[in-house]
Amino acid sequence: MARQIGSFKINGRVREAIIEPQMLLVDVIREKIGLTGTKRACASGNCGACTVLVEGLPVCSCLTLAITAQNKDIRTVEGLRAADGELHPLQQAFIDHCASQCGFCTAGMLMSATALLEANPRPTRDDVNRGLSGNVCRCTGYVKIVDAVLDAAQKIVAAREVTA
Amino acid sequence: MSEHLSYVGKRMPKPDLAGKVTGEAKYTEDLVIPGMLEGRILRSPHAHALIKSIDISKAKALPGVVCVLTHKDCPEQKFSRSTMAEALPEFAFSGERQDQYILSEKARYVGDWIAAVAAEDIYAAERALELIEVEYEVLPAVLDPFSAMAKDAPKVHDDVKANVAFEMDHPFNTGDVDKAFAEADAVAEFSGVNSRQKHLHLETDAAIAYFEADSRLVIVSPSQGPHLAKKHLTRRVFTDLDDGDIRWISPTIGGGFGARLALGVEPVAVLLARASKRPVRVTSTREEDFSGYSSRTDQHQTIRVAATKDGKLLAVEQKIVSDAGAYLSHSATTSIVNMQKTLGLLRCDNIRGHLTVAYTNTPTTSGFRGYGNPEGAFVFQQALDRLAEKIGMDPMEFRLRNLKQVGDPSCFVPSVLEHTKLEECIRLGAERFGWSQKWTGWGEKREGRYRRGVGMSILTHASGAGGFLLEHSSAVMKVLSDGTLNLIVSPCEMGQGILGALAQVGAESSGLRYEQVRVTTGDTDVTMFDIGSHASRSMLVIGNAVAAAGAKVKDQIKALAVAKFELRQVSATAEQIDVREGRVFLTDNPKIGFDVREIAYDAIYNFGAEGGQIVATGSYLSTSHHPNHQAAFAEVEVDTETGQVTVARYVVAHDIGRAINPLLVEAQLEGSAVQGIGFALTEDFVIDPVSGEVLSDSLLTYRLPTTMDVPDMDNLLVEDPLPAGPYGAKGVGEAGLVNPAPSIANAVYDAVGIRIHSLPMSADKVLWALRHGDQAAKGSSRVSGQHL
Repeated sequence: MARQIGSFKINGRVREAIIEPQMLLVDVIREKIGLTGTKRACASGNCGACTVLVEGLPVCSCLTLAITAQNKDIRTVEGLRAADGELHPLQQAFIDHCASQCGFCTAGMLMSATALLEANPRPTRDDVNRGLSGNVCRCTGYVKIVDAVLDAAQKIVAAREVTA
Repeated sequence: MSEHLSYVGKRMPKPDLAGKVTGEAKYTEDLVIPGMLEGRILRSPHAHALIKSIDISKAKALPGVVCVLTHKDCPEQKFSRSTMAEALPEFAFSGERQDQYILSEKARYVGDWIAAVAAEDIYAAERALELIEVEYEVLPAVLDPFSAMAKDAPKVHDDVKANVAFEMDHPFNTGDVDKAFAEADAVAEFSGVNSRQKHLHLETDAAIAYFEADSRLVIVSPSQGPHLAKKHLTRRVFTDLDDGDIRWISPTIGGGFGARLALGVEPVAVLLARASKRPVRVTSTREEDFSGYSSRTDQHQTIRVAATKDGKLLAVEQKIVSDAGAYLSHSATTSIVNMQKTLGLLRCDNIRGHLTVAYTNTPTTSGFRGYGNPEGAFVFQQALDRLAEKIGMDPMEFRLRNLKQVGDPSCFVPSVLEHTKLEECIRLGAERFGWSQKWTGWGEKREGRYRRGVGMSILTHASGAGGFLLEHSSAVMKVLSDGTLNLIVSPCEMGQGILGALAQVGAESSGLRYEQVRVTTGDTDVTMFDIGSHASRSMLVIGNAVAAAGAKVKDQIKALAVAKFELRQVSATAEQIDVREGRVFLTDNPKIGFDVREIAYDAIYNFGAEGGQIVATGSYLSTSHHPNHQAAFAEVEVDTETGQVTVARYVVAHDIGRAINPLLVEAQLEGSAVQGIGFALTEDFVIDPVSGEVLSDSLLTYRLPTTMDVPDMDNLLVEDPLPAGPYGAKGVGEAGLVNPAPSIANAVYDAVGIRIHSLPMSADKVLWALRHGDQAAKGSSRVSGQHL
């Protein structure tokens, strides 16, 4: 169980940390890199709060060994904002629709929704329900979360059409 | 004066969300104090066992371990996880039994706290737990309240006779109940029990304790009421400390729902920090939260009701046997509140209620959003439907004929009902739902695999517990040089949006800009005393305190504006000036005016002036519980081949007084309705009947609702301002969890003619009842003997 220096590409920047083979990605992100926006809530892959994107795909960082994520493109909630600080349309929609209450599931919801919209830019309500069914929220009753994702999807598509 | 409102009633974004969507918001476990140790707790593997000896030598010898503590290292005073003893009048103390130590001298449930470790890192702390050697003498355990109260049952607490932790007749027992039942045209009865719904706040229990200058103790934890927790901890546990010796910081909270009203691991963090003289963070896993932290109290009930044939409710009798678990915490008080809300909902001259709370060797139960009301409604609203069926009356009409009116005795403390819009709620909800078309009468047989049915339920709930709890609160406001309003208030933001609603009240009452309100909360050194966020109280009690402070700030701005107008050669008295949305202007000529920051800046930075930043405090004492009300209508579809119940439509109308922010009110109603649907259909807390172990100890085995379980919902607001409320507002936080289970249960009966007597109404139970008929179900009510 040798300690080693792990190299992680998180939110576009390469970060190094001393890791051990048994360490989980969520712990490295939170405790070693210091990005505490990603939450650990069940540590068994059942709630989705720890969801991050690895190579664009949502994974439970509490079920992922950190060593397996080395040198892969990792995105966390801290990486959603644009370089100039402007909020991602999903983040803005979550604020506008009051789609977050206690906020503990929010990072995971946003990352799952990001992956969903990248794969399916024009989802139906049912698509969003299915896409987020692995993310548990205890506060909102989900209605406003789904509203927010649909609203953000529309805005992202509209903005793309303007630039095109 | 005609009412102009700039912010109240508007759908404003809530201020805590910016940090939550970016990941910047800091929760307890996100904080790191330099030199901080990791604390972990060793929990009992036995439901009931004497501790013969504990050998900590191997654990202590492990490199990285700083201290290992057991019962011998704890204060000798007993305390309760509930902090409410400090907020109650002396006469109500008996429901607040102080019955436990930080670390137990005897294991009373699987998960009871036996020892605590602090180590340099979490890995060493975990390993140390494995190295503690405890010799147990396993005792016979009692795992349900009825066997606990049986003759010669093992005792959970040696000093408690027959394991009866608490017992009372309802204080409002009235009339001649036996005579009323004997003379009634129809009598109905329903027995049932709710499950131990878990709060399931996604942030697991955690606390940090450390020392700042002068060895002053700082506690950081997701407490819903840090002022009261601090008082409780110093008065009952660490009695060498006093109120001023602790600073308690409640940072961003990852969900509460009542769980954080009781103490969690904070006393262990303090114990370890004092022993190690180091900062200590104590954490727990999801599995430990399931077995060792709180849940709703399972209340076994029988409710009998009687009526005349034209639908006048003559009598209600409620018997409750509650299972406290190993320690009392909030289980007695939630059961008392159940009686108040259940027996106090409708007009009735003959009322009798009796409550017994028993100790068992199961995890401690506590208060959960709704605080006894959902437990009672599940049984009472089904008893009412059975009675309506017996007299052949539409269940909505039956309820309408028995509603309390203004001037009737209220449901809580012996006070008068001053305001109710429950009838309007029922009529509005029924219209939206289409009740008159969908409800087709009693006993209609439906065919086919999928059968639909409708049901309804009504409730009354409190907006604080004025007259019973210490319902006073204060707010502080200071105005910064750019016109920013720094609002310092006590409620804990668990996600419910209260800081946003209070910011709206603050901006409205002071005349400053909502966008420039900065709310400070959660630190007992900064905020004024307040008993915490619970009982749907914050909007009414703290809201009134904020409005009072805001009025004073506005007056100060007006007084300072007189001179500013003079400089502009405008002569005006303070009475002729108004302030709105950050602008000072003449009431009769609003075009003449200027930005409030001119005054705010001068108040601080003008060398020539008298000095004196604009600052004000506001206080409020609530003397009533100002009930809010709600009606709900559910349509379900039952799959008769699998027993699966799906909620297709759910309509709620809520008596809100006035919605300070309708977006936040909707968010509360939607969230609590879905929690209520989980309570009704899927959330099952299963305790092994032999070992006492919690079997549903993960999110895989304990099923929370997901996006796939949300029905088509409408949440309607009935707005008629409550004179005592801030801008007319009442509370809303808890009510939404009350109606789902009974309205869904009544709809299931309408669909397939069966009633399920224990929550959740899971597919297996529904299928069993469909195959065998609910009257033939195994077992019977332990309270009344009626078949379950």
